[in-house]
Amino acid sequence: MELKRILVLCGGKFAFPSLQTLGVEKFLCGIGIGKGEKGILSILDQESKNSGLPYMSFPTKESLSHLRNWIDEIQPDYIFSISFPFLLSEEVLSYGEDKFINFHPGPLPEYRGPMPLFEVLRYQEKETAVSVHFMSEEFDDGAIILKETLPISKNETYGELAIKLSSRTAMVALNIAQMLQYASTIPRTAQDENKARYFEKPEAIDTFIQWNRMPADEIIALINACNPWNQGADAILFGRSVKLLAATLSDELHSELPGKVLQLTQSGSIAVSCIDQKVIHIQIVAGDFGILAAERFIKTTSIPEYILN
Amino acid sequence: MQQTIGLLLPRSTYYTGLSFDLFEGVRASLKQLERDDIRVVTENIGFGTDKQLCYKAAEELIMHENATVILAYIGHRMAQVLRPLFQAANRLLIVLDAGANAPHEWPETPNIIYHSFHNTFGSWLTAKRAVNDGFSQGGMVTGYYDGGYLQTWGICSGFTEAGGNISFNHSTGYNKNDFSMLPLKEHTENHPNGALLSIFSGDYVQWYFECLKEVFGENHLPVYLPPFACEETMLKNAVHPGGLIKGIAAWSYHLDNSANKIFIASIESSGRTANLFSLLGWEGAIIGAEAVNLMSAHKNNVAFVADTLNDFSFEGPRGKVYFHAPTRHTLAPMYETNIQSNGNNGCSVVVEKQINETVADFEAFIALPMKDAISGWYNSYTCI
Repeated sequence: MELKRILVLCGGKFAFPSLQTLGVEKFLCGIGIGKGEKGILSILDQESKNSGLPYMSFPTKESLSHLRNWIDEIQPDYIFSISFPFLLSEEVLSYGEDKFINFHPGPLPEYRGPMPLFEVLRYQEKETAVSVHFMSEEFDDGAIILKETLPISKNETYGELAIKLSSRTAMVALNIAQMLQYASTIPRTAQDENKARYFEKPEAIDTFIQWNRMPADEIIALINACNPWNQGADAILFGRSVKLLAATLSDELHSELPGKVLQLTQSGSIAVSCIDQKVIHIQIVAGDFGILAAERFIKTTSIPEYILN
Repeated sequence: MQQTIGLLLPRSTYYTGLSFDLFEGVRASLKQLERDDIRVVTENIGFGTDKQLCYKAAEELIMHENATVILAYIGHRMAQVLRPLFQAANRLLIVLDAGANAPHEWPETPNIIYHSFHNTFGSWLTAKRAVNDGFSQGGMVTGYYDGGYLQTWGICSGFTEAGGNISFNHSTGYNKNDFSMLPLKEHTENHPNGALLSIFSGDYVQWYFECLKEVFGENHLPVYLPPFACEETMLKNAVHPGGLIKGIAAWSYHLDNSANKIFIASIESSGRTANLFSLLGWEGAIIGAEAVNLMSAHKNNVAFVADTLNDFSFEGPRGKVYFHAPTRHTLAPMYETNIQSNGNNGCSVVVEKQINETVADFEAFIALPMKDAISGWYNSYTCI
């Protein structure tokens, strides 16, 4: 029995394990990448050449005008989209009904949008999902084939979750390829529009710690959700604009105003008061000065005497 | 309300009664549980290697027979192929497995639970036993078929991890004419304090013992066997070569407990002989019946059912069977055995000790890096 030929449209290294798995299992018949850093493009280009697979880069939205012709040349049975950054046009999708399948790295329909990892962490979800669905002309719309759920660990960062999801997506991609190969029907469930939420790409306001409004656990969730893609959550500390990369919740309570630096702890963390009377311990701070442990960051700034006592 | 358990059955030219034994185990177990409300529907999956055949058979049971729970004698790889089907259809797959292979990762599988005899883990334990008995040099002995599974990795890593050294490997041919133990002579001369870490099953155990006797008489090195080599229906036809033969068994016909007596009597009342495969079916049906209850009570919420099963345990013919939640695999006691002549041109298994605390050992075992150990055998164990 001839294996189904699958073209993968991806957005970068998140899709590497999937490409590798589909390649090893002989399903892969071509790779297209949207945007993508130079290093990633170079690796994919070289790997595609080595394995004799068609490869094309789509650096801009405009360059997508070549996509349909390229697909027609390759004639894949299915097209998988794994973190591909662009919406596919009606012209591209008309290549075939139920030919385009997206692997969304978040629960659908609750977390539509380009960065669901950020949103599930920010909202302190206990689990997330790889949602596999047929593609339509809307972002993250289309009937769901299956949802692969996985737990979010305590204090997990965006980067850690991305690695975990990337690896799990590879397994799910192979599962789906095998399903397409062997199933007599592909199951589908329409997305419940009443539960649908679309999140735009986060802006500065979304990554900014508002000491006078946000409770401690929300601040820590935001710090984890911004690490490393935003180099941390934006904050004002000692009157300076900085980014916070790592922090933990302390057992202490306080009665100070929120956002006040309380002390430098014995373990070298900066203790800061939050609005819910809780205290967070900041371990890593980033800024123009670089990425520094909190203790070293303190030395770059003039601080009140009481903090060091 | 009538419920349906599906059963994916393989065939074997090696253990010809394999599918009959599995089926009889399931049927007799449900009868013992007085579960007349559960019907069993079967589908054939060949040797368990054909992905298309397995997928279609599972589809048939889910879509046309409306089975909520399916028992399947397949390996981890085939379970992965079926995984999205069960996920999409909201059904529970209970993999019945000899455990001759081990997965490279032990991922969370919300729709799949594994009921295994853990032959690879048993191989690991038997090798450790050899080291504990004072043997520092191991010769790994297997055949073309058995050697293709990761139980060989299990026995070698168990031996070296316990401080032993694998000083010799021998994999003999698959046909009677090619089957030879002559290459063991040199190893025996070089390492008189060695042990033979031996992985065979079925007829090959008989051939192995015959060859040992031919080459060494009763002076062969001590032999250590994994669970499937301690299978008693095959051993009773194997002429004991003399000398020391020990092993780790998952079960014995002679275990003295009431559940085992009921199991054996139930299987024998249908004219069959109780063996590892009928036991796998028997225990699988107990888990299946519980799963059917939970699926019905919780509206096919499979993730919840699988989580709830983590707390399920029962006293079975080989002792308490319970779940290791992080891997969704069942665990049960293992047994240290001594293989002796039954005085009638065959062997019998003498259980020397029950190993109760297998959790710590199992967790140490699954934490071992497999490095480059890979099995090319896709079929269910002994399905050739």
